[in-house]
Amino acid sequence: MSATLATFAVAALPAFIASVVEWVEAFTIVLAVGNTRGWRSPLWGVLGALVTLGVIVIAFGTPLIVYQDQVTQTFHILIGILLLLFGMRWLRKAILRFAGIIAEHDEDHIYQREIAELQGQSHNSAERSWDNIGFWLSYKAVLVEGLEVAFIVIALGATGGSALQAAVAGAVAAFVVVVTAGAMLHKPLSFVPENFMKFVVGCMLTTFGIFWGAEGMLVEWPGGDAMLPVILVGVVLTSLVGVRILAAMSQRRVTESVAP
Amino acid sequence: MRDAWEQVYGLLVEDGQIAIGTLAAFVAAAAVAALGSELQNDMLRNSAGLLLFVLLMALLLVNLYSAGRKAYPPTTPATPSAAGSSVPKK
Repeated sequence: MSATLATFAVAALPAFIASVVEWVEAFTIVLAVGNTRGWRSPLWGVLGALVTLGVIVIAFGTPLIVYQDQVTQTFHILIGILLLLFGMRWLRKAILRFAGIIAEHDEDHIYQREIAELQGQSHNSAERSWDNIGFWLSYKAVLVEGLEVAFIVIALGATGGSALQAAVAGAVAAFVVVVTAGAMLHKPLSFVPENFMKFVVGCMLTTFGIFWGAEGMLVEWPGGDAMLPVILVGVVLTSLVGVRILAAMSQRRVTESVAP
Repeated sequence: MRDAWEQVYGLLVEDGQIAIGTLAAFVAAAAVAALGSELQNDMLRNSAGLLLFVLLMALLLVNLYSAGRKAYPPTTPATPSAAGSSVPKK
């Protein structure tokens, strides 16, 4: 595998998929705010949040580039733990959603709820007037969802080389795709398979966390980087076992409740 | 800012069992790797990677199983006396 392809697979692709999920969630809120309170202030809110996120990535990402040749063992371990905490959390949530234990993220429902809440608030609907609520609601939505993007970009970028640039490119590409699709459709992007994408990212982050975390412990994986897909397959299979266990528990419950 | 901080905290710790279990698995694997290095036993040190994988996957399955038990608690079969009487059992 060439270095460019490896960087794409390890940094840009997971950053892109994770970012699509988060930007879609932020887009729903911004769309609801814009459609009810006018677009001027919400768009400034989006811009403000993107600048804030850029500052966060530069502040934490620059040292990764400057000192990447002096990356310490402890640093590898910290990045491994960070990726695992993210990955296991996303994986668990996605599996519980597959099993119906946690409700699926429904963008249409969230959009309607936001619209109802915003319509209940007083507002000077003149398009050119500044709207503090519109600004801060959009700022908060993009910042809160974007923080997750920023953390994932930094964690994936911390693997060194051109990984940070690739991860940033993946997140920016996701932003462009979501905004373009949203601007064209002008409705919540509820067709995006958010849960499946969370599952994929959860598996990838968990795999990278195990791999790099162990390397931080000076473990030498047999076959080196070739172990990454092997670990990924193991994580996916274990997750599918988890889905089957929950499906069986649900089925047993249904059978018990139907039985006389 | 409070929302942002809660989001940052939530990013890492949504389920306590998963978060603490992940850290514990890491510590256990690191201890094995350190022991392997101390004893200059490469096989023992390298087994820490596999151990980390196994511990984390076991943690995931246990966590999902306990979530399933909470969502689908096992129903106890209704006995005639329990079904027909409101007097609690002693």
